[in-house]
Amino acid sequence: MERIDEDKLIDEVTGKSYEYGFTTDIESETLSPGLNEGVVRTISAKKNEPEWLLNWRLEAFKVWSEMNEPDWAHVEYEKPDFQAISYYSAPKQKKELASLDEVDPELLKTMEKLGISLEEQKRLSGVAVDFVMDSVSVATSFKDKLADLGVIFCSLGEAIQEHPELVRKHLGTVVPQRDNYYAALNSAVFTDGSFCYIPKGVRCPMELSTYFRINQAGTGQFERTLIVADEGSYVSYLEGCTAPQRDENQLHAAVVEIISHDEAEVRYSTVQNWYPGDKDGKGGVFNFVTKRGLCHRAAKISWTQVETGSAVTWKYPSCILKGDDSIGEFFSVAVTNNKQQADTGTKMIHIGKRTRSTIISKGISSGHSQNSYRGLVQIHPGAENSRNFSVCDSLLMTDTCGAHTFPYIEAKNPTAQIEHEATTSKIGDDQIFYCQQRGIEEEEAIGLIVKGYAKDVLNKLPMEFAVEAQKLLTISLEGSVG
Amino acid sequence: MSVFTDKFLATLPPPTRKSERWKYSPITKLLNNEISISTEGAQGINGWPESVLPNPVLNLDAYLVVFKNGTFEPTLSDLPVSDGVDCIPFSKMDQSGSLKFSNGYHQKEWIGELNETYRQDGLSLHVHRNVKVDRPIVIHHLTDGINVASFPKHLIKVDEGGELNVVIWSSATDRSSGMYNGLLEASIGPNAMLSLEKVCNEGGKVFHFSHEHIVQERDSKLKMHTFTIKGDWVRNELEIISRGKGTDSVFNGAYLPLGTEHIDNHTTMDHTSSDCTSSELYRGIMYGNSTGVFNGKVFVRPDAQKTNAFQQNTNIVADRGAAINTKPELEIYADDVKCAHGCTVGQFDLDALFYLKSRGIDEKAAKALLVEAFLADVLSSVSSTELSTEIMRIYTERHGW
Amino acid sequence: MLKINNLCAKVGDNEILKGLNLDVKPGELHAIMGPNGSGKSTLAAVLAGRDSFEVTEGSVDLDGIDLLDLEASDRAREGVFLAFQYPIEIPGVSNLNFMKAALNGKRTHQGLEPIKAKDFLAKVKECSSLVELDGQLRDRSVNEGFSGGEKKRNEIFQMAMLEPKLAILDETDSGLDIDALRVVSKGVNAMRSSDRSFIVITHYQRLLEHIVPDFVHVLSNGKIVKSGGKELALELEEKGYDWLKEPSHDTSNA
Repeated sequence: MERIDEDKLIDEVTGKSYEYGFTTDIESETLSPGLNEGVVRTISAKKNEPEWLLNWRLEAFKVWSEMNEPDWAHVEYEKPDFQAISYYSAPKQKKELASLDEVDPELLKTMEKLGISLEEQKRLSGVAVDFVMDSVSVATSFKDKLADLGVIFCSLGEAIQEHPELVRKHLGTVVPQRDNYYAALNSAVFTDGSFCYIPKGVRCPMELSTYFRINQAGTGQFERTLIVADEGSYVSYLEGCTAPQRDENQLHAAVVEIISHDEAEVRYSTVQNWYPGDKDGKGGVFNFVTKRGLCHRAAKISWTQVETGSAVTWKYPSCILKGDDSIGEFFSVAVTNNKQQADTGTKMIHIGKRTRSTIISKGISSGHSQNSYRGLVQIHPGAENSRNFSVCDSLLMTDTCGAHTFPYIEAKNPTAQIEHEATTSKIGDDQIFYCQQRGIEEEEAIGLIVKGYAKDVLNKLPMEFAVEAQKLLTISLEGSVG
Repeated sequence: MSVFTDKFLATLPPPTRKSERWKYSPITKLLNNEISISTEGAQGINGWPESVLPNPVLNLDAYLVVFKNGTFEPTLSDLPVSDGVDCIPFSKMDQSGSLKFSNGYHQKEWIGELNETYRQDGLSLHVHRNVKVDRPIVIHHLTDGINVASFPKHLIKVDEGGELNVVIWSSATDRSSGMYNGLLEASIGPNAMLSLEKVCNEGGKVFHFSHEHIVQERDSKLKMHTFTIKGDWVRNELEIISRGKGTDSVFNGAYLPLGTEHIDNHTTMDHTSSDCTSSELYRGIMYGNSTGVFNGKVFVRPDAQKTNAFQQNTNIVADRGAAINTKPELEIYADDVKCAHGCTVGQFDLDALFYLKSRGIDEKAAKALLVEAFLADVLSSVSSTELSTEIMRIYTERHGW
Repeated sequence: MLKINNLCAKVGDNEILKGLNLDVKPGELHAIMGPNGSGKSTLAAVLAGRDSFEVTEGSVDLDGIDLLDLEASDRAREGVFLAFQYPIEIPGVSNLNFMKAALNGKRTHQGLEPIKAKDFLAKVKECSSLVELDGQLRDRSVNEGFSGGEKKRNEIFQMAMLEPKLAILDETDSGLDIDALRVVSKGVNAMRSSDRSFIVITHYQRLLEHIVPDFVHVLSNGKIVKSGGKELALELEEKGYDWLKEPSHDTSNA
């Protein structure tokens, strides 16, 4: 577990310039595979980035080259070959299909089960959308409303061009380049992502969702998201969607930074259903994400996630509770089936006085999967009267899966109060029989029981997401009765 | 003879902070010391300091096996002599005994390898079938001297249906420094019972490492207690492996470090068979600038269905400057199990404190009462009241309650 | 309605039911009593379809349907209800959602549309007042944190909601105080009708003062050894079960 160097968070990133002179051909659409300084320069040039950002990327690249890929005891995977990945492709024109008939029927079946409307299905599968159906105009009126309030919500690339001072002030302040291997890689080669800024005192009236960024073309491998909530503001941000997302890109190493200024609140919800690979675990997505939020005085950041996809997941959304009276929350349901592996959890770093954190983690393992919770609660000497409450439960659905918990608790203050509980259980035969005797069939009974188990977390999701997430839970456990 | 602990007399590398198991307990200070092994042989009562009693447990009527700086002291000991019990130090055996060490700890860990390389003596204790040993056996290790090291390794075997209570007590005089590196291997046969209490009450500045490796056969019972009363730098490692169905393992501990003391308790409970139970309770209070470390691993293997495993670690950080690093871990590979662990870090119950004060009890005495209550759950399962009374007496004296 | 013919069942290697015969007509309430270990709860479990029990011989016919051929959830949908002796807790699943899922399961089986929210709530209100189940308990997770009495009342609430053809009450009176017993009995009695039958399994005669049976049977060692009217229960209360163990023994020799 990496320690966060407090000084690094507070220091501004200083730019340095390097004396290398080469760049590759700007005109080409896709760079040949491989990562070297030239590639980093090309990416920056193609995106027309200012000098300070190029330098920032180069510094990250230098740092990455000196680091070693982390080795985690509970996740086994074939390490990606970093020199075999192409780090830049021109924004893909999404291949337009004529109708839903051309879409993979399995995909359609799943979307139907999830209750996704026909129009949405078309949009998600790349079928040409009928302009009458208005999804573009919906997005437009939405953006107008936001503009009136002064809320900035656009791609990171756009923000770099149009609001460089805002980006420069905050980028890398929560997840510095040298934070960890994947963050360093991401900092060097990130292609795009979201930027969000909420002005002082503004309560963002609607959920912001990556969904609405019509301009984005497909999901990036190295997405970088930066959310800044100025004093007293509020925003609820949704990432991902329940539709199964296949991607030729095996490796996803995203970075999400959130800064919640004094008395601001950010709720970040994720529903992720990356392709988990086939029954033997082949071909799935590796999802290595660094997500971290920094809370100033009386600020609050909540991470809520429902993870059902990916072949390998490695993510620890964290909160640095720097300001006095700040609050960090983490609510998670992580489902693993077949041969998936998840090593996920959170870090709550208490620095300020009277800081509070709540962790509710519900793991559900099935098939031959391994599901680990790894958490850190760290109380610094100055964190007077801070509190943490953690519940970390595991539900095992088969006798071939594994559920593990590794909670680290480091307390250096005598007034702290920390409570951690973990239980492991299975769905009892008695419970299933009880439901059956009431006329509920076994699969439905399991669905009911699992939803009941995950209720505390599902309740934290914004309404529309919660309904989809519930359905997603049921589907991802299909056929897992053991 | 000199033990150069910082260079390659061991083939396994000494652990560093990068090693997960040693993250919170760096041993850099130890590696910079020169330590030597005593060559004096048994000294009897003349070489024994007045401040320490050979039987450290007041009033306990027990057999006694005494070691000073790793050397067996026959004149100070009182070994059991009966048909059902073979209790003899390895140094006194005329031919190699029937018991053999089997754990490969020395091949896996530097601490174990050091012990294997410099091993002095130890007790071979074999309880025969259905024999209930009539009195507890107290093994007392004393460290007395500057930069002196002891490397004992004990072997205990309780055959089917046997019952045994062993207390291992380590002390050190206030002028002492060096290292205590003690290993113990125990196996408990079917339906047998072993109650083992380990107490560390060492003055001076002694690096204390102890590792117990205990294997249980079906339907056996283990009660293990680890009390760290005084010790400059203590690392207690406990490994319990249940190899048969229906075993029950209870392992509790308490640690109340003062000053700059560092106490690290690492436990592992490995359930490999079905229908077993385990219960772990460790409680600690960190005073002054001390550091406590707790790591409890519970493994439940695929065939260990219907396991019921419970683990609780409760901590109080009493003073600014003190710290606790705790990590209760569960690795579960079987589904029909009930496993729970809980861990808390907190303060003395302020309401209870106020209540006591409102009845005229001053703050110091009130806290003492609360600490007694805090320790009671751990002490209550100790085999003999003489032992729990003595432990409580020393804690009280030490902390001035 | 229900014809049980020579039912033999075992769990593992233990034979528990050894040729049980029982005939229950519509509208009748049969009480089954017997010493511990006689097979009373096994009978309930076997009728409900618990697959840890293996039926080795015999048949069970419910209005022309071969009950043993059906899965537990299908038997429930055909109208079999078991009030559990130890009702199970299901954390996170609300009582109401649970009932709705159960009701809709039955309705689907009957070719009906899922129940409308308004109708469902009206039904819930009616059935809760029958067993004095207050709103607070209804909104909680199924049986979670319920006291013994509350769990048993919840069972009767569910029975009222599901309107079964055949209701089997497995030691519903165990662990109940006088007041709870009164409430539970009131609920059961209110559900009695000419097209509904009950099998009430109990240890004590006390329940049968509140829920008066049409027939009383004694189950001993896996078989029904004596049948009679409600007076039989009183006789058992007085004499215990021993006198029934000798097959030749007759009541006048007590």
